[in-house]
Amino acid sequence: MRAGLSTIQQTLTSEAATVLNNSIAEAGRRNHGQTTPLHVASTLLASPTGFLRQACIRSHPNSSHPLQCRALELCFSVALERLPTATSSPVVTEPPISNALTAALKRAQAHQRRGCPEQQQQPLLAVKVELEQLIISILDDPSVSRVMREASFSSPAVKAAIEQSLSNKVLVGNDINPTSLGMAGTTQVSLPVNRSLYLNPRLQHQQQQQEQQGKLRSNHSGHQRNDDVNRVIEIMTKPKKKNPILVGELEPETIRREILRRIENNEFVTDELNNFEVISIEKDFVSMADKSLVPIKIKELSDKLDTRIGSSDKKGVIIDLADLKWLVEQPPATIASVGRESVAEMARLVAKFVGKVWLIGTATCETYLRCQVYHPTMESDWDLQAVPITSRSPLTNMFPRMGANGGLGSSVQSFNRLNNFATTMNLDPNRKVSCCPKCSGGYEEELAKLKELENPRDEGKNCLPLWLQNAKTKDQSQIEDQEQVLKQKIQDLQKKWRDECFRIHPNYNRSLRLDRVVPMVVPLTGEYKPNMLLRQSQPGQQPWLQPVRTLQEALQPAQLPRLEPPRSPVGTDLVLGPKKTNDLTVKDLLGCISSEPQKGKFANTADADYFKRLLKGLMKKAWWQPEAASAIATTVTQCKVDTGSRGSVWLLFAGPDRVGKKKMASVLSEHITGTNPITIGLGSRRDNDETSTLFRGKTVLDRIVEAVRRNPSSVIVLSDIDEADMLVRGSIKRAMERGHLTDSHGREIRLGNVMFILTGNWSTANVDEHLADEQRLHSIATRDWKLKLTISKKRLKRLKRSANWLSGNDQSTRPRKESGMDLCLDLNLAIDYEEDRTDGSINSSNVTIEHEEDQHFAVTSVPHELLGPSHGAVVFKPVSFGNLRQEIEKTVRNALATIIDENITIEVEAGAVENILGGLWFGWTSLEEWAEHVLVPSLNQVNAGLLSQGEDMVVRVESDRDSVQVASCGDWLPSKIAVVVDGV
Amino acid sequence: MGVVEQAHNVKILGSGDRTIVLAHGFGTDQSVWKHLVPHLVEDYKVVLYDNMGAGTTNPEYFDFDRYASLEGFAYDVIGILEELQISSCVYVGHSVSAMIGAVASITRPDLFSKIVMISASPRYLNTVDYFGGFEEEDLSQLFEAMQSNFKAWCSGFAPLAVGGDMESVAVQEFSRTLFNMRPDIALSVAQTIFRSDMRQLLSHVVVPCHIIQSMKDLAVPVVVAEYLHQNLGGESIVEVMSTDGHLPQLSSPDVVIPVLLRHIRSDIAV
Repeated sequence: MRAGLSTIQQTLTSEAATVLNNSIAEAGRRNHGQTTPLHVASTLLASPTGFLRQACIRSHPNSSHPLQCRALELCFSVALERLPTATSSPVVTEPPISNALTAALKRAQAHQRRGCPEQQQQPLLAVKVELEQLIISILDDPSVSRVMREASFSSPAVKAAIEQSLSNKVLVGNDINPTSLGMAGTTQVSLPVNRSLYLNPRLQHQQQQQEQQGKLRSNHSGHQRNDDVNRVIEIMTKPKKKNPILVGELEPETIRREILRRIENNEFVTDELNNFEVISIEKDFVSMADKSLVPIKIKELSDKLDTRIGSSDKKGVIIDLADLKWLVEQPPATIASVGRESVAEMARLVAKFVGKVWLIGTATCETYLRCQVYHPTMESDWDLQAVPITSRSPLTNMFPRMGANGGLGSSVQSFNRLNNFATTMNLDPNRKVSCCPKCSGGYEEELAKLKELENPRDEGKNCLPLWLQNAKTKDQSQIEDQEQVLKQKIQDLQKKWRDECFRIHPNYNRSLRLDRVVPMVVPLTGEYKPNMLLRQSQPGQQPWLQPVRTLQEALQPAQLPRLEPPRSPVGTDLVLGPKKTNDLTVKDLLGCISSEPQKGKFANTADADYFKRLLKGLMKKAWWQPEAASAIATTVTQCKVDTGSRGSVWLLFAGPDRVGKKKMASVLSEHITGTNPITIGLGSRRDNDETSTLFRGKTVLDRIVEAVRRNPSSVIVLSDIDEADMLVRGSIKRAMERGHLTDSHGREIRLGNVMFILTGNWSTANVDEHLADEQRLHSIATRDWKLKLTISKKRLKRLKRSANWLSGNDQSTRPRKESGMDLCLDLNLAIDYEEDRTDGSINSSNVTIEHEEDQHFAVTSVPHELLGPSHGAVVFKPVSFGNLRQEIEKTVRNALATIIDENITIEVEAGAVENILGGLWFGWTSLEEWAEHVLVPSLNQVNAGLLSQGEDMVVRVESDRDSVQVASCGDWLPSKIAVVVDGV
Repeated sequence: MGVVEQAHNVKILGSGDRTIVLAHGFGTDQSVWKHLVPHLVEDYKVVLYDNMGAGTTNPEYFDFDRYASLEGFAYDVIGILEELQISSCVYVGHSVSAMIGAVASITRPDLFSKIVMISASPRYLNTVDYFGGFEEEDLSQLFEAMQSNFKAWCSGFAPLAVGGDMESVAVQEFSRTLFNMRPDIALSVAQTIFRSDMRQLLSHVVVPCHIIQSMKDLAVPVVVAEYLHQNLGGESIVEVMSTDGHLPQLSSPDVVIPVLLRHIRSDIAV
C-alpha cells in the first residue's frame, strides 16, 4: 500500500497531494484504520479559504450563511467520529487509503484527462490531478454526499458550482477573479473582494449601487435586469454561439440598451468585455425605405470594419442589430431573396472577423420564429444564441410606453415613488399633503413655521437620538402630550390645506385621484407582493378602488381611537369604585356594556346577525335580564370577532340572579356548541344538574380538566367562583392568562376553544333574602299542580277565590281585579282598558322597584385578578319577582286576548301566576314557548265552547290544586290545561 | 457612515474602555433601552442598533431567506461589530437577540466578552422533554391572527407580552414599535423566532452568559432560564427578577436597571 500511495501522489498536483497527506495525517490522528473520502472532504473544508467551502457557500440557496458551512464541518467531524478506529495495537501513523478513496482518485484522474484534450496523447503519469478535480470526485463519493445532505447541502449543486467556476477559469485564464466565479443570477459582478462575509447581501447590493453612483439607478428592477444582463454577458464571453439575441416582448429592448450603455462606458469589471466599440445599424437599416439595399449596407459595414479593426485600439466591435424585424418584415416579394442575401452577407462578416466582432440584437418571439423559418441557417451562420427574456410582470404590457421608450430612468423612478408611497403612507404625519403644488407649497410653509414654533429647544441636542433626548430630559407623558399636540396640529394643517385645495382646485383633485389609482394597481402586478399583505389587511376586497378616502384614513391611524375590548373600562371602574359611588358604578358598568347593539361595532353583517340571534335566544330564556343579555351577546360576538372563534373565552357573570346566569349560560352553550353546558360548582351549593357522578372523588381542578379534556370546545360553567378556595382561584386565574390548565398531577391541558363562564355574586344584594324567595318558589313548583281555565258567567260581585300566597307582596293584583270589576260593564272597552292599566301599573311598579334596587345593589367586589384577563364581565341585577309575575300575567293575558273574543274578560289568578313563575324559574321552557304551545291550544278549546255563550263571560286562569298530575320529567310547566266550563 | 451602520441605525453613545452592545428583541427597536442607556453612557461606549426588520429599518433590506433563521441576524451583529471595528464587547440581548448574540458568539467568540440575556429562550415549542411554553397549535393560531389582522393582533399581543394594562406606557410603547413593523416582515420574523430551536447550539456557546428573567413571562417560562443555565457551554448565572412580562426593561425599569447594571459591571466569580 505504501508503494501505492507514492504512485498516487505522483498523479496529483502539489496542492492536491498536500490535501491528501493532510487527510492521511488526520486519519492517523483520529486513529482510524483507513483514510476515506470523508477525511479528505473534512480536510478540504477545514482550510477557511478553501475552494470547497466557497463552492458550498455558493451552491447553497441561503448563500449568505457561512454558519451553514460550520454545520457542514460539524457533520463531517461527527461522521468521522463514527468511523471505526484501528484495532491493531501499534498505532498506524499513516492509515492506508480506502478503496472508496482510491476509486475517487482514479475518477479524478480520468476527469482530468478528459478535461484536457491536448494532454490526451501524453502518458498517464504526466496528467496531474488538480485540486478542483479532486474535490469533484470526492463529492461524487456516496459517503461524502450523504454527510453533505445531512447538513442540507447538495453535493451535485456544489459540484455544479465548482464546474461552473472551472469553466470560467478556463475562459479567464489563470487570473481567477473571485467575482467572476459568482454564478449567474447574483449581483456580485462588481463586488469588491474585501467585503465582509457577514454582510447582508441586500446591503451589499445597496453599497454596490452607492459605489456605482447611480450608474445603476434601479434598486428593484435593476436587480432582475442585472440577472439578464449577466446572462447576456456570459454568452458573449463564450467561445461559441456568442452572439446573443434577446427574445421577448418588451424587456429585451431595455436590457440591450443597458448592456450597450455599460459596454460603451466600460463599466464591466471583467475586462474581456471592456474597451469595445459599438456600431449600431439600427438607424440605417430600420429607416431604410428600400429593404433591398440591406445586403449592400452590410457589405459596406464589413468594409468599414476592416479599416476600423486595423486602426483603432479597441479590442473588438459589437454590432447592434437592434430589433431583427428589419430582416423579416419586408414585402413578401423580396423577403426571400433579399433576406437570404442579407443573412449570407452577415454570415460572411461574422466569419471574417471571428473573435473581433460580436452581434447583439433583440427580437420578439414571433420575429425570431420567422427568422428561423425563412433563414434556417442563420442561427449557426451568425453564431447566434437566443436568450429568452421573460417579462417580469404584466406591468410592461399595461404601460407599454414605460418599457419601450422610457428606458430605465422613468420606469425606475416610478417604481421608487411607488415604493416610498407604499411604505411610508402609514404613519408619517409629516408626509406631504396631497394637494396641488401651489397648495402644498403653502402647507409646507406653514408646517415649517409650526415646527419652528414647537421645537426651538431641540436644536442643541441633535447629537442624541430623539427618543433618548426624551428619556433623559423630560417626563415621558409630557413628551407624548407635546408630540400628540404637534401631530394634531400637523394633521389639522393638512386637513385645512387639503380642504382648501379641494375647494379651489377641484380639477387637480380629480386628476390626482386618477394618479392615485394607478400606483395602487402596479404593486399588485409587479414585484411588490410583500406589500400586498399590508393592503390586504385593510378591509374591503379592492382597496385600490377607493383611493382618496382610504388614503386619508391611512394617514391618521395614530389619531384613531383604538378598538378597545369592552373589558377595560369595567376593570378600572370596578377597582376604583369606592362604596359611596356604588350607584354610579353600576350605571357605568351597564353603560359600557351597552344594552344596545352599538352601531358599527361589528365589522360585518355576519357578526351583527350572530349578535342578533344570540341576543334573541338569551332574551327568550331570561327576559328579565335584558341588559345582561345584551352585554353577553355583545361580548361573545366581540370575542368571536377578536379571536376568530378560536381559543378559550372567559366570561364573568356577576350578580345574585343564579337562575338568570344559569339560563344565559345554557343558551350560550346551546348557541355555540348545540349542547347543554357543563356546570361545575366551586361553592358550597350543589345544583342538581351537575354531572356529579363523573367527578365524584376528584378535586375541583381535576373535574375542570376532565371536562375540558372530554369536550375541548364546550361551554363550561364554573359557578360560585367567589366561594372557591384560593388554590382553585389561583389556578383559574393562571389558566385565564396562559391558556392552559394544570391539574393536580401537574399535567398541562390546553384549553382549546372552551368558553368558560365564571359565575359569582360579588354584589351587595342580600342573597339570603333572594334565596328564601327562590326556595319558596321551588316548593311551589315542585308540588304537583295543574292549570285550568275556568269559563264562567261574569259576576258583578266576586269573592276572591284563591288563597293568597303573596300576602304582603301582592300589591298589584288585588286592586286591579277590583278595578277591573268596576269597569267591565262596558265590555268592549274592558280589555283594552285593563291592558292599558296593567301596563301602567307595571311601569310604575318597575320604577319603584328599580329605585329601591339602586339603593342597595351594586356589584362591588369582582376580583381584579379575574376581571383583568377575562373577556368581559356581565352584571345580572337582582330579580324582582314582582316584575316577573306581572310579566307572566301580561303574557298570558296577551296570548288569550289574541284568540278569544274581545268581549270576554280575562282573569289571571295570582296563584296561577306564581305557579307559572315557579315552573319557568326552574324549568327550561321559555314563557313564550309555553304560551304558544300549551296555553293557546287549550284556549282554542275554550273558544269553541264559548262561542255560543254570548257576552258576559269571564275566562279565568287558575291553578288547580285539587287534581293531581305527575309532572313530566324535566318540564316544570304543565303541558295540558284543563278547561272547565263553569256555571253555564 | 458605513452602509451597515446606516441600515441598522447604529448609534454610538458615551465613551469608555469597554463597549456595551444593546440588542433589542422582536417587535421593538433600540428605544426599548431608553431607561438603561443613561446609566451606561458615563462609563461605557454604548452601541445601539436596530435589528433588520424592525419598524425603523428599511424593509427593502429585509431578505426573507437570510432572516429565515437566527443566523442571518447573528451575521448582522458580527457585521456591525466588524464595521465598527469593535474587538470585544459586552453584549446585552433581549429576547430573541439574546439567542442571536449566542449564535454570533459561536462563530466569533473573540468578539464577545460576555452576553447578558434578558428573557431568552432557546426554543418556544414544548416537546416531550422540554417545556418552552407554547404548543404547535398556539403558534399556528398566533401566526394566523397576525396574518388576518395585524393591527388587532398587535393591540392584543402587546398587553400580553408586556404583562400590563392596555393603558400603561410600556404597553403603548411596545404596541407602537410592534405595529411599526411591516406585517409580512413581522410575521416572518415571528415565525423564525418561534420556530427556532437553539438547544443543540447552546453547548457550543463558550462565552460567559448572564441569564436574566422575569418571574412571570408569557413567552418564556422560568424553567427555561434554568435550562439555559444547565445547557450553555460556558459559565452562566441566572437571576430571576420579581417582574412581570417579557419586556421587563421597559415595563419595570426600577427593578431591572439595577439588576442589569450589576450584571454588566461584574463578571461571574469563578
